[in-house]
Amino acid sequence: MSEIRESTLEGRAPKKLPNGVRVIDVDVHAHETPAALIPYCEMPWRKSLELISKAPERYLDIPFFAPQMAVWTPPFPQSGSERRQVVTSASQMRKDLDELGIDIGVIFPDNFLLLATLRDADYATALARAYNRWLVDEWLGEDNGMKGAIVAPSQNPVAAAEEIRRYAGHKHVAAIYLPSCCVEPLYGDRSYDPLYEAAQEANLPVMLHSVTAIYPVFPFNLNCFSSMFSAHIVSHGISMVANLLSLMETGVPARYPKLRIGFSEAGIAWIPWMMMRMDKEYKERRRELPFLSDLPSTYMRQMFFATQPIEEPENMKEMATIMSLFGGEKSVMFASDWPHHDFDHPNKVLQIPVSPETQRDILSGNASRFLNLKEKS
Amino acid sequence: MAAEYRVGRVDELPSGTHKVLQVGGREIGVFNVAGSYYALPSNCLHQNGPLCRGSVSGTIESRRESAWKPTWVREGEIIICPWHTMEFDITTGQCLAEPRRHIPTYKVTVVDSEIRVTIP
Repeated sequence: MSEIRESTLEGRAPKKLPNGVRVIDVDVHAHETPAALIPYCEMPWRKSLELISKAPERYLDIPFFAPQMAVWTPPFPQSGSERRQVVTSASQMRKDLDELGIDIGVIFPDNFLLLATLRDADYATALARAYNRWLVDEWLGEDNGMKGAIVAPSQNPVAAAEEIRRYAGHKHVAAIYLPSCCVEPLYGDRSYDPLYEAAQEANLPVMLHSVTAIYPVFPFNLNCFSSMFSAHIVSHGISMVANLLSLMETGVPARYPKLRIGFSEAGIAWIPWMMMRMDKEYKERRRELPFLSDLPSTYMRQMFFATQPIEEPENMKEMATIMSLFGGEKSVMFASDWPHHDFDHPNKVLQIPVSPETQRDILSGNASRFLNLKEKS
Repeated sequence: MAAEYRVGRVDELPSGTHKVLQVGGREIGVFNVAGSYYALPSNCLHQNGPLCRGSVSGTIESRRESAWKPTWVREGEIIICPWHTMEFDITTGQCLAEPRRHIPTYKVTVVDSEIRVTIP
């Protein structure tokens, strides 16, 4: 009889995988505090961070930095998870990922999931640049299994393109993160063309990733709801739907045929719905989307989708069926969202009954193609 | 085959507390709920998180009988998984979100102020 220590991952090892099968996790989160970014931020906004860093920190909700404005349900004891929900260093991340059985983790930010809510474009751009410097300097310096997604400030697509070109050659920069929470205009807008041009040229994929916030743009006008239950579903899922439609409207996947586009943190059950719905509509309204030369689903089959939050029907075979509806065997990538409140343990995704080949593709093969890891390493 | 494990003395587990132990190769939680003892496996039905490393709490219900007014109930009877906050009734093992599903409960006896858990 022995007491158990407090780590919540200890003793929850992932299922043993066949020899040689690696796990690539396309969504893990590093905790960038205002204080951590001070030395990386240019003036005069370093002054702003010095002030902001004095305020007590909340989970994904910091005034002037990550304004979520979604703390709207009354708190009750133990309603939030009590385990550690931040990772503050590369060594801590490495240890966590080892316990989860993850070989390679692609790092996204915590607070800057809300970057697109900031309206001051110069400030948002300075923060994005500071984050990218910090990411590369403090997380991607060694061959430790960390890959990074540099953040593209949506407020300034030309500056975003500069950031992409700046880091294009970095060995461990593997993706470009497009902040999708509250982004306006949506990502199909022509103003983003420089960003996509740079991404395609740099051979770096773009990954859309949202989060919950109240904001007066579609679909974040969440004042219609009274619970995080609803808001959280809409903020992630419908944000991906809205941005996908926007990308199709201006023919981004047709105009940038080598650009790899990924969608994160919306699960995968929405994909067949959108694919079928768009194809149906397109047959009637093809003239509105003259850029496309085939059904929208044809373009969607070239896109990539992260698993988390993986849907959990009682019979996980249903997820294999859903994947078969959109060719997910070649486009679905494992993601844990570690260490966030709704992270998925790899064992859950391993419950989907698929062939060994498909399992290998979901765990690493598809991500390796998306991130172009073979050429990078 | 069932085995009985000695998991501590009653004075080590006051009312309203619980502890997590490794017995017979598995992690379990032993609880004192208002003077009654309970034991559960530390495995959440959701993603096999370490359920009993979570906190004991009450919960909120809203039923027709109370005119749909949200009410704080069952204080001290609910264990909440630290991974994704799924709730279970300590006294029955019932999952609150999926009431048709249960985790097992282990038999607890007290012999000479010593708590014993029987694991089948």
